[in-house]
Order: sequence, then structure tokens, then C-alpha cells
Amino acid sequence: MSTSAVLAAVKSRLPVRTVEIEERSPSRVYVYVAPEGIVQASRFMFEQCHARLATVSGIDMRSGVELLYHWFCTDDHQFITIKTKVKKPFPKIDSIATFLPAANWIEREIYDLLGVVFTGHPDPRRLILADGWPEGVRPLAREYEGFKE
Amino acid sequence: MKKTIVPLGPFHPLLEEAEYFKLYVEGETVVDADLRIGYMHRGIEKLSQTKTFDQVAFLVERICGICSTSHPIAYVLAMEDLAGISVPERASYIRTIIAELERLHSHLLWVGLAGHFIGYDTVFMWAWKYREPVLDIFELISGNRNHYAMMKIGGVRRDIKDEDVPKIVSMLDTVATAGELFTGAVMDDPVIHARTKGVGVLTKEDAIAYATVGPTVRGSGIPHDIRRDEPYASYGMVDWKVITYEGGDVFAKAAVRLLEIFESVKIIRQCLDQMRPGPIETEVRAIPRGEGVGHAEAPRGEVFHYVRSDGSSCPVRHKIRAPSYVNIPSFKATCIGESIADAALITAAVDPCYCCTERMAVIDRRSQDVLLPGQELVRMSREKTQRIKAGLGQETPIDKLARTLQKRNV
Repeated sequence: MSTSAVLAAVKSRLPVRTVEIEERSPSRVYVYVAPEGIVQASRFMFEQCHARLATVSGIDMRSGVELLYHWFCTDDHQFITIKTKVKKPFPKIDSIATFLPAANWIEREIYDLLGVVFTGHPDPRRLILADGWPEGVRPLAREYEGFKE
Repeated sequence: MKKTIVPLGPFHPLLEEAEYFKLYVEGETVVDADLRIGYMHRGIEKLSQTKTFDQVAFLVERICGICSTSHPIAYVLAMEDLAGISVPERASYIRTIIAELERLHSHLLWVGLAGHFIGYDTVFMWAWKYREPVLDIFELISGNRNHYAMMKIGGVRRDIKDEDVPKIVSMLDTVATAGELFTGAVMDDPVIHARTKGVGVLTKEDAIAYATVGPTVRGSGIPHDIRRDEPYASYGMVDWKVITYEGGDVFAKAAVRLLEIFESVKIIRQCLDQMRPGPIETEVRAIPRGEGVGHAEAPRGEVFHYVRSDGSSCPVRHKIRAPSYVNIPSFKATCIGESIADAALITAAVDPCYCCTERMAVIDRRSQDVLLPGQELVRMSREKTQRIKAGLGQETPIDKLARTLQKRNV
């Protein structure tokens, strides 16, 4: 498998310690980092690699919430997904919307649906859930059991 | 000057689904904007976890009635990435044809709506007239004008019959001929220039910062197109080019869409030509544990799907990101400093995906009194066009073409 320019850059210059880099196919790479490094890693992807943030997926894994930042690198036709995990019951991570407006809505959505708090988010209001939705009820969390009046 | 809030939405004729744009205006100028979504949140990601992998393709088709095949394509691509499935060649060609037919009808729909909105009902009528034959072809191929249910993991559900090919080709001829007349008239029309050039400019920097996709980013001169960036289906096997337009204004976005109609016609023609008889699906026995990412270029931009499987028959997590989700926030960057008569047109320029009843009003910020009844923004926009037309003092290319066609009874 030939290494693309962006992957080479990630391997040699990513400013945070990577736990693991998994190359599943030439176009799909998963990079595991610690939650503390997410802002630096995202900045590196956006500013140095000129990648586009497709979106962020949040997945409730019981012990914590896994967050996947899907970066698409147009020139290298490659998805680099940065994976990290924040611990429950109070999942918390630094916001990347501070420098990247594209992350603004998705971070608000993940807070609504999974309860992850994005520290430093410029506009942490509710986005998806209705105004009357009870605080603390997270529809995509494992323990969610349907809406009770 | 007194600041006034103009709520645009949550329900509005231009917005196919509920969305709330709160515009802060001073006089006629928009000084700030705030957006709110979630009025029609249907919980499809959650619902997907209760469906089998096969059923999810039908579910995601119902996310949008206009780009209804893009979501299934992105989903099956994600599943094929997850399970390592390869698709027969004929199925890839059929996927491409369906996706491009969809782009044709979606772009024509948008051109029509935009025309209506600026007060050019001729444009509206024409565009929708030529959108009909495209929908007829969909009915011919799939039995449905919308929601074609063509995609499945490992291939497609229906073949394109050889006897249908001449009908598709003749439809393409009709649309291409009409499209040329039409594009020429729209691109040269001084009134359309006056209404759209330099209006709602999305700079390259903003386009990148907001991670916009589709005609919205290509109208800012950035050649991002998933069909070229990661050729799925058979886009790598046909000759076509990514349409970009400099300027980032409403005109540039319209031009990208108009010119893309011809590229779509070109792609479909080549696919029909190159397609050989063969199987249309690979048998899929089970979906293993794992995760997959799929994305496709919908008419409005990139559709993104992420699926994770734990080896059972349903996804454990299915993340979906539609193109308008990243395009709409860029409104904040494009509308500030513009006149309120242009605000709705700028919103429409990103072709936000929405459904329609209408409720809007101008509210005095201090007293919260409703000052103006609904439909006001559409009226203001249409009146502005009339004023420009009157000031021009001569017949516009569109009116001229309309008159000629009317005479020839086309």
C-alpha cells in the first residue's frame, strides 16, 4: 500500500501522540488519539493538511462516548478518521468550533443527542431537540428508554 | 437606526422543510443572522438502529424526496466499505445513471424555484416543464417518479431494459436542447445579472471554513466534487468535468447548476453506451463486525454516511450528514450587509433542502408586534425585479425567448 502525502504527514508530524494508526484500505485510515489532543490534531488536519471536516460521529459505548472526526483529504482521495473516547458519566472534550465554524452545529448536535460537553464552544445552545425536551435526556444514549411525559 | 428582527421561517414557501432564520435588520440591510433547526427532526439515525441492514436502504431513501437516491447510494457504499463487497460493473453504471437523472431533475427544480422567486415565472414554468420528462423516465425505470428503491447492498434492485434505452436517449435530447436555449437566455439576462451578481458572496475562505459542499462550494471556484475526488459507481469510467464558477455569488451558484445539467446528460449518454449485459448484484450473505464510511455527491453536495456493525442484523450506529447541514450555516457569512429583498434569494442559492407551508412576519423588536403579514419577502423580491425590468426599458433575453417559443407553440 503506497502512503499518500497526507498520511505521511500525519505519521511524521501530527503534534499529538497517536495510540494507533489503522490503515484499513488505501482510502480509509483510522487514527486513535487521546481526547486531550483533539484540538491540536484537528488544527493540524485543517491547517496543515487542508482536509475538510465531513462530520463528527458520536457513539455511546457504555463506558464512554467514542467520537470520530471524519476528515476528507480531497487531493489524496482519502478519509482520515480521528478517533477518541471520552469517559461517561460526564463526557467532556475541548471544542474545535473555536477555530472551525464547520464544527459548530455538529458539536451542538452531539451535546443534544449524547450529552458530550464541548468545552469552549462559542454558542452552546440546543440545536436539534425541541425547546420543551427535558434536560439530561439523551436520545442516542444506551440508557435511553423512550420519551416519558 | 432601530434594529428589527425578521424571522424567515420556520415555515416558508422557499424552504421545503422547517428551518428558522432570524434576520436582524437595520432599515433594509441585514446586520446579523441566527439560525435554528430541529423542527422536523425525525430521529432517523435512532430509527435506523431498529431496522435490518436491508431495510435501512429504504429508510434513508425517505430522508429527502428530491435527492432520494443519494442517501441510499452513500449508505450502500458505506456498507460495501464495511463488508468489503465489490459491485458488478453493470450495477455501477445503473447507479451512475440513476444518480445523474436525479441531479437533472433536482437542478431543474431549483432553477424553477429561483426563477419564481425573483419574479421570472417564465423560467419557473420552463424549468418544471422539462423536469417532467425526467420524472417520466424514472417511472419507466423504477415504477416511481420519486423514491426509486434502486439501491441495495451489493448492487441494484432493478435492471434498465434495453427497450427503454431509446426513450431515455430521446428524453436527454429534449432536455439538452431546451437546456441550451434556456441557459443562454438566463446567463445573458441583464435583470438576472442585476439580481444575482455580487449578491450573497461566499468567499473561498468562508467556503472552506464552513466546509461547504456541492454547487455552493463550486460556485466559489473550489473544485470539490466527490464524483471526482473519490470516484464511486462508474464516474471514473466516463468523461466529464467538474463545473466551477468564480465569484461565490448567487449567479455563480446558479451557473454551476445550469452547466452541470449538460455534464449529467453527457455522463448518462456514456453510461448507456458503455453498459454491457451482466449481473446487477453480488449476493451478500452476512454483514460482519466493523465500520464503514460512504459518501456520494448529491445534487446539493456531499452526502456522508457512517455505519458500525456489531455482527448482528442491525446497525449499532448510523451517522448521516446531509449536504444542507453544512451549507446552511454559511448563510451567516453571506447575508450580512445584504438588502432584505435579497435575503431569501441568498438562502435559496444554497438550495436548502426543506418542505412547505409558510409563516413569516416582520416583528418590531421592542413591542414584538407583527408589522407585516406573510409572503412579504417573496413580494419584495419580485418587486425588486420588476423595478429593474422597468428601468431597463427594453425586452430581456428571457422575455424574448418566451415570445418566440410561444409563437412557435413550443
